[in-house]
Amino acid sequence: MNALLVLSIAGLAALFSGFSHNKKLAVIVSLLGLAVAFTVNVLDWNTAVRYYNDMIFVDNYAIAFTGVMALTMLLIVALFVDYKESVEVPNAEIFALLFFSLAGGVMLVSYSNLLMLFLGIEILSIPLYILAGSKRHTLTSNEAAIKYFLLGAFASAFLLFGIVLIYGVTASFHIETIAAYIKNANGQPPALLVAGMFMLIGGLGFKISAAPFHFWTPDVYQGSPTIVTTFMSTVVKTAGIAAFYRLFAYAFPAITAEWIPTISVLAALTMTVGNVTAVFQSSVKRMLAYSGIAHAGYLLIAFVSISSNPASSVLYYLIAYAVSTVCAFAVLMVIQHTTGSEEVDGFKGLSKRSPFLAFITTVAFISLAGIPPTAGFFAKFYLFSGAVKAGHLWLTIIAVLNSCIAIYYYFRVITAVYSEGTDSTPVELGTVQKAVMIITAVLAVALGLFPEMIISLL
Amino acid sequence: MNSLNDYLPIGIQLIVALGFVVTTMVATALLGPKRKSKKKDEIFECGIESTGNARVPFSIKYFLVAILFVLFDVEVIFMYPWAVNFRELGLQGFLEMLVFIAFLLAGLIYIIKKGALKWE
Amino acid sequence: MINAAWLIPLLPLVGFLINALGKKWLSKNIVSVVACGSVLGSFVIAAGIFIGLLGGAGAQTLSLGELMNAGGFSVSLSLLIDPLSVLMTLIITGIGFFIHVYSVGYMSHDEGFARYFSYLNLFVFSMLMLVLGANYILMFVGWEGVGFCSYLLIGFWFGDNANNDAAKKAFVMNRIGDVGFLTGIFLIFITFGSIEYAQVFSSAAAMPAGLAVITTITLLLFIGATGKSAQIPLFTWLPDAMAGPTPVSALIHAATMVTAGIYMIVRSNILFTLAPITMEVITYVGVATALLGAFVAITQNDIKKVLAYSTVSQLGYMFVAVGVGAYSTGMFHLITHAFFKALLFLGAGSVIHAMSGEQDIRKMGGLKKDLPVTYLTFLAGVLAIVGLPPFSGFFSKDEILAKVFEHSTVLAVVMVITFMMTAFYIFRMFFLVFFGGFRGSEKQKSHLHESPAVMTAPLIVLAVLAVAGGFINVPETLFGHHALANFLEPVLRPSLAIIFSEEPSHATEYMLMAIAIAGTLVMFAVAYSRYLTKSHVPAASEKEQSFLYRLSSRKGYIDEFYDMIIRKPLDWISSVLNDVFDKNIFDRIVNSVGELVVVGSGVARLLQTGKLGFYLFIMVAGITAMLFFNFMF
Repeated sequence: MNALLVLSIAGLAALFSGFSHNKKLAVIVSLLGLAVAFTVNVLDWNTAVRYYNDMIFVDNYAIAFTGVMALTMLLIVALFVDYKESVEVPNAEIFALLFFSLAGGVMLVSYSNLLMLFLGIEILSIPLYILAGSKRHTLTSNEAAIKYFLLGAFASAFLLFGIVLIYGVTASFHIETIAAYIKNANGQPPALLVAGMFMLIGGLGFKISAAPFHFWTPDVYQGSPTIVTTFMSTVVKTAGIAAFYRLFAYAFPAITAEWIPTISVLAALTMTVGNVTAVFQSSVKRMLAYSGIAHAGYLLIAFVSISSNPASSVLYYLIAYAVSTVCAFAVLMVIQHTTGSEEVDGFKGLSKRSPFLAFITTVAFISLAGIPPTAGFFAKFYLFSGAVKAGHLWLTIIAVLNSCIAIYYYFRVITAVYSEGTDSTPVELGTVQKAVMIITAVLAVALGLFPEMIISLL
Repeated sequence: MNSLNDYLPIGIQLIVALGFVVTTMVATALLGPKRKSKKKDEIFECGIESTGNARVPFSIKYFLVAILFVLFDVEVIFMYPWAVNFRELGLQGFLEMLVFIAFLLAGLIYIIKKGALKWE
Repeated sequence: MINAAWLIPLLPLVGFLINALGKKWLSKNIVSVVACGSVLGSFVIAAGIFIGLLGGAGAQTLSLGELMNAGGFSVSLSLLIDPLSVLMTLIITGIGFFIHVYSVGYMSHDEGFARYFSYLNLFVFSMLMLVLGANYILMFVGWEGVGFCSYLLIGFWFGDNANNDAAKKAFVMNRIGDVGFLTGIFLIFITFGSIEYAQVFSSAAAMPAGLAVITTITLLLFIGATGKSAQIPLFTWLPDAMAGPTPVSALIHAATMVTAGIYMIVRSNILFTLAPITMEVITYVGVATALLGAFVAITQNDIKKVLAYSTVSQLGYMFVAVGVGAYSTGMFHLITHAFFKALLFLGAGSVIHAMSGEQDIRKMGGLKKDLPVTYLTFLAGVLAIVGLPPFSGFFSKDEILAKVFEHSTVLAVVMVITFMMTAFYIFRMFFLVFFGGFRGSEKQKSHLHESPAVMTAPLIVLAVLAVAGGFINVPETLFGHHALANFLEPVLRPSLAIIFSEEPSHATEYMLMAIAIAGTLVMFAVAYSRYLTKSHVPAASEKEQSFLYRLSSRKGYIDEFYDMIIRKPLDWISSVLNDVFDKNIFDRIVNSVGELVVVGSGVARLLQTGKLGFYLFIMVAGITAMLFFNFMF
């Protein structure tokens, strides 16, 4: 809860630091704010306090996910230290908006009231609409912003509709009250409540880009500035999944029969659409967007097997995914900056230009592909074995087949890195940038070697 | 589907509301006399002769000021319910309102420093 | 001292890390000091422990933690300090240290100086893990580690493809053996439920002899040993391994690594003792290898090849010894062989160094004038290997002969013949290299020089060891008291309790000694008259050679034989599999799956129209479908 306050104030501080002549001030303020927010957040561990008339419930689940989001954003912001040219708008506003968005994310992982869920989604999304369009003079960025806004508004409508229907039945916004109501219904929940639940699936499915609500993802990811894309595919995805999981773990555990078939279909559809479409992409950024869709599909498996997939395996998966994705995007930003292209071909000859970057790229994509000993592998392993335990054999088979497809397009990048390129000028990297890459790559491997560090948290 | 019955009154009201609008519009269109002339079909604008299209691009500054006005206008709306319940909400409510105002004030300062209200 | 045992493998590892990481920055002096110093440090500690053991300290297992623990399978990271492992450690670090010192001179002009020493240190570390590990997994880790280092060092001069081929050959041959070894370890775990020596040996000691499972285990382990220790049928890699730098041949392919198979058998002696069939197999394979190696060595003209086949042959002696149950005799010969073969290799290295890289003994001759120190030390090695008293080889060879005679008279006769062949090829090489007139080019002649002191000093030390090394295990016949055998007794105790051993009568032993010495002297005379009196030089052309000569000089056609019965059929099978099954069936299936995905991707991509209306439509359609299916079905 204190993290929420710190983040809001840090956002304001970042905003005003933009008036300083020192361009680095905003970055330093942001890093400081995030560090404080993380610390304050961790200090609440094992307290589980309810705030605001029980609208927000800061339990360990909330603290863990808040910590992940704050750290991820810290890594992303650290990339800014050496990067000024990649984003056109003054940095300070970007940071402030990222902070506000993150504040929304914190609400999303700690809500215990559906109104807070809705508010969180809006606070998370509205800064993103602006951020998506922050390359003001680029047409694709404008397009991304307006598409995201319109579709997002639509999805919010679904969400609100769902909340209203549920309120209509249960006369409460509180997820535990709703759960109690459902329990009293003895497995025969009112149809309107179930309909409301599906509306919520639709609205939240949009946020985590689950098929068939995923269409905005590639267009928006590609059009947005890369740093915003990184934020969206890591922090926003974490918030969305965590909110989704919280909803189903707290409010609807008693009626799994109603939603498991639907979410199974969504999961299979999402990962298949994401992976199959990614195969054809020549732009790495767009490919990562589809890969993000695919990973959302894998994560939906955790919902289906909620009995044997505890929150910790979702947390582990999200950390593994966030670390690898930040790493991959950090490299992509360098490639964009030096070659002006975000195509797979831009990675050609990278092993000659910078063996360091080549290695980092390899680690990142191997982790995304889920090959041992990286974290990506164990994340999938926990998820899939949980699904098998819960008896979803077919879904697991589909997921494994999809993982095979994924290897194809991830390795297109890796093979490009080690093939001959036309350009052979060495790539220069900033110290902090390099540090972020090393930290993420090391985490991608270290978390794979010691998964208990995360698994034992929740 | 028992609960659907509870919504029956709402459904009836919906039908009545829609029905009333549709009925009156159709009725006036059918019943009212229609006399057309050039002067009558002209766009009415406070007696002044209208020129050009209404949808012309205008300076963003108007828009900006309008939006900012709405923003701070809404701020005041939030204060009404708080003022009504001032005693019940007590010190904590007062502090929360202070935070709220402070955030908006920060926004105002930002806007002024950014020069959004400069009219040149 | 024993508590510092963990430092023994650690020091070379640290040396390896320093030299490997600092190979770009460190000067040659620092590299030499780090490399030699780390091995010397290990030697000093090992020597301290050895003295402690002599003083009556018992064997000890030093636990350093747990390597892994999965299910019922746990592997401890612990070192076994007992007479056997300490003896091996002394040889590895002692001889290893001298060879390191020698290498400082030998490799001084090489660009890969630091790389060479890092590999060498890594080898010493792996070898120490092999002998010090207290379970089969640690032994296997070291086993693979030394194989890997051997691969790196054979292909050290990777600029020449022949060296790479030799490295690959060594690796592949060793892998074949490793399959046997690893399967043996699996079977040990299945049978005994543990791979720790302590548990395995104590449970085995309570088992009856001749169990099928024990026989299988030991045969599998022996397959591993034939790979690492170059026995029939996997010995062909060792002569090719001479492609590496000569000190490497001395350390890895003569003194230490190739004896790992012997060590493994002696370490597992109780298992082998319980498997008489395996013991018979080992004996016959050993005799055959000894004979074949000596036979091929007779006609080799490359000085290192002669020594390589000699090593194969001498390893055969050791296997014969352990095969007849004389484990301590095998260890004895292992030690003396380590002394004199390392000496011979280093001497050969000194000769090659003086000859500017020439290895063909036909182009040498009369080198004793120019290389006095090398000549004298080499002579000590020669006398030791042919087994003339009182040089070290005499005692160990004679003990083997005595034990074999006890086992079977026929085999003893074969061994005597092998001894005589050994004497012949050794003297042949010795005379061709050091006596007669110089047969090389003028340029080589002008360049002849004695090696620097850093190379001759190790030669002298090893020469002293080769001369005196035999006294560590003098038999009672010669008024000794089997010091080595007594020292190793605690390790071999369970086997000794089973093997009924009757000491041959003193008369028999004297007779055997006389026969061996007489045979050697005869061969000395033959070689002397052929290569010194008649100044015979082996011809280059094969045409004028007899069938037997060709059979020997072409290495028994073993490589060609393997090529014909293994490589060609395999090539044929794989080409059929490739053309018929792989290309037409599997490739087609795999490729069509891939193509299907790509086509699907192309279609799926078209859905991404970029049109907002369509996206909205799909979203609404999705939610509608969800509601529809859930309420209709």
